[in-house]
Amino acid sequence: MAETMTSTLASKPAVSPTAAVAGKPAVSPTAAVAGKPAVSPTAAVAGKPARNVWALAKRELGFYFNSPIAYIVITLFLVVSGAMLFVFQVPDGVGDFFAANEANLRGLFGPTGPEAFGGIPLLFVFLVPAVTMRLIAEEKRTGTIELLVTWPVTDAQIVLGKYLGAVLFVGIMLLATLPLALTVGGLGKLDVGVAIGGYLGLFLLGAAYAGLGLMTSAWTKNQIVAYLVGALLCAFFYFVDGMLGLLWDGGRDFFAGMSFKAHFQNVARGVVDLRDILFYGSFIAIALVVTTLSLQARNWKK
Amino acid sequence: MIEVSGLTKSYDDFQALKGVSFKVNRGEIIGFLGPNGAGKTTTMKILTCYMPQTSGTVNVDGKDVNQDALAIRSRMGYLPESTPLYTDMLVYDYLHHVATVRGVTKDKIRERIKAACEMCGILDRVGQEIGTLSKGYKQRVGLAQALIHDPDILILDEPTSGLDPNQIVEIRNLIKRLGENRTIILSTHNLPEVMATCTRILIIHQGRIVADGTAAQLEEQEAENERLRVLLRGVDADVARLELGTLPGVRRAEVMPSVETGVTVIELEAPRGAELRSATFKKVVEKGWELLELARLQLDLEGLFRKLTREV
Repeated sequence: MAETMTSTLASKPAVSPTAAVAGKPAVSPTAAVAGKPAVSPTAAVAGKPARNVWALAKRELGFYFNSPIAYIVITLFLVVSGAMLFVFQVPDGVGDFFAANEANLRGLFGPTGPEAFGGIPLLFVFLVPAVTMRLIAEEKRTGTIELLVTWPVTDAQIVLGKYLGAVLFVGIMLLATLPLALTVGGLGKLDVGVAIGGYLGLFLLGAAYAGLGLMTSAWTKNQIVAYLVGALLCAFFYFVDGMLGLLWDGGRDFFAGMSFKAHFQNVARGVVDLRDILFYGSFIAIALVVTTLSLQARNWKK
Repeated sequence: MIEVSGLTKSYDDFQALKGVSFKVNRGEIIGFLGPNGAGKTTTMKILTCYMPQTSGTVNVDGKDVNQDALAIRSRMGYLPESTPLYTDMLVYDYLHHVATVRGVTKDKIRERIKAACEMCGILDRVGQEIGTLSKGYKQRVGLAQALIHDPDILILDEPTSGLDPNQIVEIRNLIKRLGENRTIILSTHNLPEVMATCTRILIIHQGRIVADGTAAQLEEQEAENERLRVLLRGVDADVARLELGTLPGVRRAEVMPSVETGVTVIELEAPRGAELRSATFKKVVEKGWELLELARLQLDLEGLFRKLTREV
C-alpha cells in the first residue's frame, strides 16, 4: 500500500513544483549533469531522484526511532486507541464494546455521520502534526536547512523525502494497532472487508494530515507554531462538513466533498472508490507543492 | 574557474552586495575578509546556490549557478557559518547520509568516510553522537561533511571561529593540505589566519570588494606605512619611545608588551621611503643602547583592514 502510494506521488510533484516556480523549463537533475563527465571520480552524478528521496526519508525515520519521540507517540497512540476501542462507549448509541457484543472496530474508525466524530481519525488530528512539526521547522531553526538545500538535491526531492519519512511513520503507527484488531478478530467474527477498508482509510487520512503538517512545518522555524497551525488545519478539513454544514444546509454536499471525514467514511465502509483515492491524492499533491513553494520562498526575497 | 561579476543582493531595502566582481583560479586558496555585515556570507550563499542574487552572474567553469545549480553543487563542498549539523546522529551515520545524498556510489561510501575522517582527524569519534562533541570536533565533522564527495571546490564560512589556538592551527594546516589540489574560498575575521593559509586575499566592505591580491601585492598597493619592531635591553621604555619618536618621519612610536623582563619592545611606524631602519640604527648607536632586534614587520594587514573598512 505504501509502495503504490508513494510511487504515484513521487512521479507527480517531483517535476511540477520546480517547473512552476523557476518559470523556465525544469531541468531534470540527471539531465543537468549528463552533459558533462563527472568532475571528480567519487562525486558521482548528482541526483538519482529516487535514491535521494529514499535517503532523506530514511534520515527522518531514523530520527524518530533514535529519539524517544517515536516511542512516546506510538505508546500514547496505542493507549488511547485501545481505550477508544474497548473501554469508552462506542458512539452510535450501541453501548460499549462488550455490551454491544459484536466484533467490530468502530472504536478505532470512529462513528459515522457528518456531525459525529471520534476514533483514530480524530486522534490523528492531534498526533500526526506532532510527527510532522519538526520536519522543516527544525532544519530552519538550527540552520541545517542551509546544508540540506545546497546538497545536490532539488527542493521537490527534499519535500518528498521528508513526506515519505512521515508517512511511513504514520504507517508504522497503524501497524502497531494490528494486535488490537487481531484481538477483536479473536473474540468474534470480524468483518474483514470493513477492517481493511478502515485501515486503508486511516492510512489515506493520515497521509493527508501528514501533507498538511509538513506544509505548516515549512512555514515557520517554530515547531510549536507548526504543530498548532497544522492541527488546526487538520481539524478544519476533518470537521468541515459538520461545522459549515450546520451553518448552511444547502452547502452540505459541497463541504462533504472537501471533508476528510466524509471521504474517510466512504473508504471505511469497505467501498474503495476512485473518487476518494483521487481526493486524497490531489489533496496531498497540493500540500506538497505548496510546501515546495514555501521552501523556495527563500528565492523570492529580492 | 569561478567568475563573479557585478553581483548585487538586496534584502528588502538593505543592499548587502553592491556590485561584487572577482575571479578565482583553480588551486587558489582565497581569504575572504571583511567586517561583520560586509557581505561575505551573502556572497558565499550565492556561490553555493543557497539563494539567488538580485543581479550579476556567477559562473563556475562557464556554468551559471542558477542554471546548473545541481551540477555545481555536486562538485562543491560547503561549510556554513556556525556549522549546522544533525546533532542527533552519530558521526558515521551522518557522514553516510551526506555521502548518499551527495551521490557517492555505494561501494565507495565507506572508503570516502574513512578518507574524510582521517583528513579531519575524527576517525576515533565516528561512533559518537554529534551533539555530544566539542565545538572543535563539530567543526571537523562539518569539514568532513564538506569533503565527503571529494569536491574540487570548497567554500568555508568562518571555519576556525570559536576554536582554541591549537585547533585553529590544525584546521589551518588541514586547509592548506586540502588546498594543494582544490580551490578553496574561506571567510574569516582572523587576519593572521589569512596570512598563514591563503594565496590571495579579498577584502569586502559594505558590499564592495575594496582589495584583491596576494599579501605582497596588497602591501605594495595599499600599505603606505613601513613598520619596525625594535627590541632594546636595559633602557627606560618611555625615554626610548620619546627618542625614537623624534626620528624623521615617525608617525607612531608605541611601547608593546614584552615577554622578557628588562627588554623593551617598541613599534615604529613611518611612511614608506623614510629610511626608518637606518635612522633607528644610528639613533641606537648614538645612545649606546643594547639592540637585540630590529625587524621590519610584514604586511600590516590589520592596519590595511582598518583603513579599507573604515565606516564611511
